[in-house]
Amino acid sequence: MKRSMLLIGLTLLGLAQAQKTVSLVHSGAITGPTSDVGGPYAAAIEDYCKYANEQKLIPGYTLNCIVRDDQYQNPNAQRILEEALDRAKPAVYLGYATGAMLALKSLIQEVKLPAIPASAHIGLIDPPDNTYIFLPTSSYSEQVVALLEHIAREKKGAKVALVVHPSAFGRAPVEDARKAAAQLGLSIVDVQENGGSLDNTALLRNLEQKGAEYIVHQNVAGPVANILKDAKRLGLDKKIKQLGAIYTGGNDLIRLAGDAAEGYLWASSYYTLEEDTPGMRLHRELAAKNNRGTLGQSHNYTAGLLAAAIAVEAMKRAAQRFGRIDNVTFYDALVGMNGPNAFNPGFVVKTANSPEIDFTKSEQTGGEGLRVLEVKGGKFVPITQPFTSALFRKVHYGK
Amino acid sequence: MSDFFQFLISGIAVGSIYALAALGFVLIYKSSRVINFAHGQLIAIGAFVAYALVAWLKLPIALALLTAVLATGLLGFVVERVFLKRLVGQPIISVIMVTIGLASVLDGLMYLTPFGSGNFSYPAFLPQEPLRLAGITVSYPQLLAVGFTALFLLLFGWFFQRSTLGISMRAVADDQMAAMSVGVSVEKVFALAWAVAGVTAASAGMVVGTVSGLNQDSLIAIGLAVFPAVILGGLDSIPGAVVGGITIGVLQNLAAGYLNRFVPGGGTELVIPFVVLLVVLWFKPHGLFGTEEIERV
Repeated sequence: MKRSMLLIGLTLLGLAQAQKTVSLVHSGAITGPTSDVGGPYAAAIEDYCKYANEQKLIPGYTLNCIVRDDQYQNPNAQRILEEALDRAKPAVYLGYATGAMLALKSLIQEVKLPAIPASAHIGLIDPPDNTYIFLPTSSYSEQVVALLEHIAREKKGAKVALVVHPSAFGRAPVEDARKAAAQLGLSIVDVQENGGSLDNTALLRNLEQKGAEYIVHQNVAGPVANILKDAKRLGLDKKIKQLGAIYTGGNDLIRLAGDAAEGYLWASSYYTLEEDTPGMRLHRELAAKNNRGTLGQSHNYTAGLLAAAIAVEAMKRAAQRFGRIDNVTFYDALVGMNGPNAFNPGFVVKTANSPEIDFTKSEQTGGEGLRVLEVKGGKFVPITQPFTSALFRKVHYGK
Repeated sequence: MSDFFQFLISGIAVGSIYALAALGFVLIYKSSRVINFAHGQLIAIGAFVAYALVAWLKLPIALALLTAVLATGLLGFVVERVFLKRLVGQPIISVIMVTIGLASVLDGLMYLTPFGSGNFSYPAFLPQEPLRLAGITVSYPQLLAVGFTALFLLLFGWFFQRSTLGISMRAVADDQMAAMSVGVSVEKVFALAWAVAGVTAASAGMVVGTVSGLNQDSLIAIGLAVFPAVILGGLDSIPGAVVGGITIGVLQNLAAGYLNRFVPGGGTELVIPFVVLLVVLWFKPHGLFGTEEIERV
């Protein structure tokens, strides 16, 4: 009798102390188009989840990471999210593609599920249905406007061409770029879409004939590398300077373009792999521990770590403040991540006036700082201090 | 005018890559009347095997390329023996579905390797400075594409015209029953066709890798992007694959050069191959050099 009482007691005690489970769902392009970004991004989310459980970053909770491959297909992303909503009741959705996120915007609003996408399309945090979406870093539009500001500082009245990915992701910054160029006295001579051609002779010759002095890319690294190589082959590398937003740069670009990458300018919010910050030390540690090879040398791995780190931090704060973690408490914790409660994991550059990551109900961009980096001697080297675009808010929000 | 010649030369280089990829389709169709939807996967596997041999085993690039070509040829042979041999005599749609399934399986298996996601590139083994002549520039990777295509065209020309095995393959393509009745091993011909298709696929993959780097998705996409070239040349014609590939490459470059100026956003080079495809299917469904089958009703 005593023995069975003891057993029941121990069982009850065990149940009382049992870890609760909280779910996070990520759907991204682990295979298919843009998987060179989606692969390292998803790997980083998996690795950070493992790390969070090992380090018990969310006291009392075990993190259940559901990482799925949507192959860059909107219907797959929708199915994965709906299935996760039915079965796992996630506290947060770490989305990926611009197209899928735009398609899921109203569903996210309807189910009040906080979402942190890899896409930095400004339309995701613009009304309507924008309450629950948060960008970890500055938008594509802000990055491209910042690059145009850099060009305007370098050459007044310069002629600029935009070469963008043939998708909602690529087209995201075009409208704001046109408005910003007009304000900066730059002329946009052409906007061309390029999803990765084996030869870019015609594209480059046309842009040369239109007098382009700069090409600003909104794309992934592969197509940009091909254009850089072709520009060098045609002797246009000295004549036309090339720059690009976040997914165009990083080690992938240098690996693919080789010498042709020299001089390429890149707008990025992230620290480089070599920099000594807590976040980048963790990046190196997790990539090595999980044998990530080249995936772990990508800034897209840093981006995935940041998204997961923001999610885990908000979960931790929700548990501490409200005693439970769900989509409602997660949202409250996330929008309270500001002022003295801002989050500084060390993945993203800070400006003199803003912390690394902060959110409010109305400010849905986390890291607002970015730098321009240049390829010098086979490495991206920062050539500016962290800054935010002076013009972006004016052209996009009219203020 | 120099722009025109530059577009033309660049188009021939790109078209040669299409031609290489198209040869694999044609070889399999020519012998077995099967369209292989896993051809893009063979292209990617060949390219990544060569990369793995260079990056991991530190083999000299030429040896790595040769080994990868042979390994992909062997893979093509094994695929035919394991998956397709059992389907001889079955409806063509079953065989096509098997190649679609095979594409998915190979995709999944490739993802399990370190090459599933990400961008890679071969160590530079060709001169970096392009050739310049009369204002026209050609890179060495582009010349490699043209060279490989010419080499394969010559080899296949000889093989199908002069060798016993090649003549057997043509006999099987013409009439399987008649070929069997004169002692030709249809099974052997099918397996050989898949092996040679693997060889051409690997060659195309390595050329694409040299020109624009290695990315699983982009390499696989080449496999299907060459359909218009194959249809234009004729599904069962080897010279047709080469003519079709080069024609499509040149038309794409000329469209990009002359039409994109007037089309906001450009992209006409992506549409042109399919316009050609439609026109060919309307007016000459067997392609420029394909066999026109006449049935007595």
